[in-house]
Amino acid sequence: MCDHHDRLKSNNKDLQSVEKQLDRRHFLKKTSLGIGALALGSLLNTEKAWSSIGNSDNAAVNAFTRNKLGLPHHLPKAKRIIYLFQSGGPSQLDLFDYKPKLVDMYGKDLPKSIMKGQRLTGMSGSQSTLPVAPSIFNFKQYGESRAWVSELMPYTAEIVDDLCFMKGMQTDQINHTPAITFFQTGHQLPGRPSMGSWLSYGLGSDNENLPTFITLVSKNGKGQPLKASLWGNGFLPTEHQGVQFRSGKDPVLYLNNPDNYDGTDRKKMLEYLGDLNSIQHDAYGDPEIQARMSQYEMAFRMQTSIPEVTDTSDEPEHIFDLYGKDSRDPGTYAANCLMARKLLEKGVKFVQLYHQGWDQHIGCPNGVKFKAKQTDQATAALIKDLKQRGMLDDTLVIWGGEFGRTVYSQGQLTKTNYGRDHHPKAFTMWMAGAGVKPGFTYGETDDFSYNVTKDPVHVHDFHATLLHLFGIDHERLTFKHQGRRYRLTDVHGHVVKDLLT
Amino acid sequence: MNDVPDFVLFLGRFHPLVVHLPIGFLIFAFVLEILGRKKKYNVITAATPLALLLGFLSAVVACILGYMLSLSGDYEEAALDNHFWFGVFTSAIALIAWLISIEKIKLPKKNKVKANISVLTLIVILLSITGHYGANLTHGSDYLTKYFPFGKKDTSKELVKVEKVEDAVVFNHLVQPILEDKCISCHSKSKKKGGLSFQDSLSIAKGGKHGATVIAGKALESEMIKRVLLDPEHEDFMPPEGKTPLTEEEIAILTYWIDNVHANHTSTVASVETPENVLHIASSMLGLKGGAHGGHHGSTSDVVLPKATAANPSTLEDIKAEGFTIRELVFDSNLFEVVLPPYTKKPGDDLNAKLEKLSKIKDNIIWLYIENNNLNDDHLKTISSFKNLQKLVINRNGNITDNGIATIENLNSLNSLNVYGNSKLSKASLDTFSKINTLKNVYASGTGITQKDIEVLNKKDLNIVL
Ligand code: HEC
Repeated sequence: MCDHHDRLKSNNKDLQSVEKQLDRRHFLKKTSLGIGALALGSLLNTEKAWSSIGNSDNAAVNAFTRNKLGLPHHLPKAKRIIYLFQSGGPSQLDLFDYKPKLVDMYGKDLPKSIMKGQRLTGMSGSQSTLPVAPSIFNFKQYGESRAWVSELMPYTAEIVDDLCFMKGMQTDQINHTPAITFFQTGHQLPGRPSMGSWLSYGLGSDNENLPTFITLVSKNGKGQPLKASLWGNGFLPTEHQGVQFRSGKDPVLYLNNPDNYDGTDRKKMLEYLGDLNSIQHDAYGDPEIQARMSQYEMAFRMQTSIPEVTDTSDEPEHIFDLYGKDSRDPGTYAANCLMARKLLEKGVKFVQLYHQGWDQHIGCPNGVKFKAKQTDQATAALIKDLKQRGMLDDTLVIWGGEFGRTVYSQGQLTKTNYGRDHHPKAFTMWMAGAGVKPGFTYGETDDFSYNVTKDPVHVHDFHATLLHLFGIDHERLTFKHQGRRYRLTDVHGHVVKDLLT
Repeated sequence: MNDVPDFVLFLGRFHPLVVHLPIGFLIFAFVLEILGRKKKYNVITAATPLALLLGFLSAVVACILGYMLSLSGDYEEAALDNHFWFGVFTSAIALIAWLISIEKIKLPKKNKVKANISVLTLIVILLSITGHYGANLTHGSDYLTKYFPFGKKDTSKELVKVEKVEDAVVFNHLVQPILEDKCISCHSKSKKKGGLSFQDSLSIAKGGKHGATVIAGKALESEMIKRVLLDPEHEDFMPPEGKTPLTEEEIAILTYWIDNVHANHTSTVASVETPENVLHIASSMLGLKGGAHGGHHGSTSDVVLPKATAANPSTLEDIKAEGFTIRELVFDSNLFEVVLPPYTKKPGDDLNAKLEKLSKIKDNIIWLYIENNNLNDDHLKTISSFKNLQKLVINRNGNITDNGIATIENLNSLNSLNVYGNSKLSKASLDTFSKINTLKNVYASGTGITQKDIEVLNKKDLNIVL
């Protein structure tokens, strides 16, 4: 017993005399609690404790050229990434996946041969008919690549020669939460590390004054809720979790000093706090304490670094015009796109945007039209802006939702209105920039945009490809947790080499 | 061979387990006898007969099980015979030793101790020999000696190093290493699982229990490829569960060998039709191109990486102290991305001195970012000696002129150049760009270069973004 008790003491000389007094008074209490904590710690957390011991000077090593994990495995193409997540499941049928033959099928029941016995959601599964609903929007081909885009995305149509469309996307999940979680973490249940956390863990930070992984949720989205586990670190060390900025004028609260406080002794205060925390860390060895310390320090540095990046006053008029008028309204999708560019310029590695509300079960035409209007111009502006600055050379941009939508109408079908249910078996996404083929379309779907007929890309393949672009072999970036090694792609995934330049 | 009942084979597989019992008992008997010579431990020799009896009995069981295992036909006869007869012989001697120890075999009294010791010594020697033959059967005959510290390495098998991937002999340089890495532990001369050995060309041609393993020109019909392509859960998947499966690249090589090389053992890469992707895999397997660090994993990156010597850590430390961030771009390649964050230069700072320091590792740098840092033509002159640069990002440094750009025309690995916002640049710089043959992308928005200038230049493979 006394042994354990001794181990709970700190290495700090100043405190040792105080601890002796404490000992006598709280001997029993402290030992019992202490042993309990130790036991609990080793029950729950050994992996973490061990791995963090291995990584404790990871930051130093990263900052200093040689990566402890043996990364990158090969020369990267991408240095940073913006993921424009269109949450809710945008209708590929009304945006990119042009299906002219559907017009003749209007209102007919979706053939059983196409459905192949697929299980539908509870929302449309009990419908007596599944009437085919062709898109009411006009499609045209654009650019040298002759890519099809509907009239809803006039700005995106201008940049198709920079985009790499994946029309054969596939996921395993048919409902929002598991599907988004699957996209962001490689698993449908919350708890695994998100993509951004894996990249942060694997590659480290490029600017120690800013978080490596930042999440922006647009305030004008509205729809199915999002939760922090989507940008969570799972079992990876806590400092790799995504930091969510608020969607408003002050992306990070309490950066400014309170009135009448000039901030001079804050650094000192933090140093004392750091000392206390490290005493606690000596005693318990909990890596979370270290994570907390580094987060405090990061917060301190963010007091100066954040106002600098979030200040858009130095952006010229024509940039605001490019991103559209929303871009002057902080927290909107357009303003976030602009902010994303600024963050990348400052060395943030992963910026994850979310725009909610692409969930058109009813009133699909109006809904999609509205969502496209909110996002189209800024999305295209971001690509143009990055390209002009040469940043598209090493920045990967991704556009897409968690699944697609059905060809049949959920609810009543009329000449001008229809609803579309969730559809995981085929949908469209695009990537642009670092290392992916520009002006390229990969994958095909059948005449109903229901099944992938050529070149499918599964979520796991997408993840494998993404890591590949960052110089990472997805099979070799692992983390041992609860007795086994985990990967973003777990036991799946193939790099889709056809997408790469 | 195949009519051996499964039950017998099942029992046979317990041989490697049971075989350790007689080893233990008999060596223990030896130890008892040795220790027993000391007065102090005299009494323990009383246990020797028991140890010997148990040793003998378990040896008999091990022999029987061993025989059962041998019926599977997975082992080479010659090596098997040795192991078998030594095993039997050891058991017999163990019996004799036991009989001596319980005095069923009577020896003259005063020789008894000596006799016991010598029989037991013989047993230990026999055990070692038998064990060695047995281990050769399971692990291969060079298992023990492979890492023998003083022995000469067997150089006869060592491959001639090739300089060009075209010169590589497909079988020797590409196929054999894969087989040795992933298959030979079970498919060798001494251990022929499924009756199949990959030891040499003859045995490969012979195939296994089910006949030919390799059908020249028909990879997909060849048992070798069929098995590695099965679902990993499938019972027949090779290599079996628990062993590292082949990578896609390795399968591509085997397929190429069967289809394009018709499974012969002499053709070189140059002498057959070789698809682009196989060339890539082959060169990275042979370590002929950068990115070969992943071994068989191979890199799909088509960028050729320069060779660079390791940079001195204290030099790196110095450079970092100047405000540069350094990141290694491929692990253990000593090739770096170097970034000088915007506005790093404080008043009075001397960018020249910074770059001077940086130039100590100039051959290690392949990506260089010095954005918005008042970089000028003089600085560019220093940078022009960074001959391994593949990417140079010097945007928003308004002082740079066409003359400065002209100094970097000899950067002949450069493929991406970012001069965005350097307003003093004009179409004169286009000449420099077009002189750098490797250059693919130039980002020149916000400079004096116009769309018309680019059209006049009319260089197809140079993409200039405005
Ligand atoms: C752990 C041991 C082990 C390893 C390693 C192994 N094999 Fe096998 N192999 C077996 C066993 C056991 C059999 C016989 C059982 C069967 O037919 O499945 C077999 C049978 C085969 C056969 C069928 C032979 C016939 O004619 O019946 C082929 C072909 C084969 N292996 C190919 C391979 C290849 C190629 C590799 C390397 C990638 C490999 N094996 C690695 C154990 C192994």
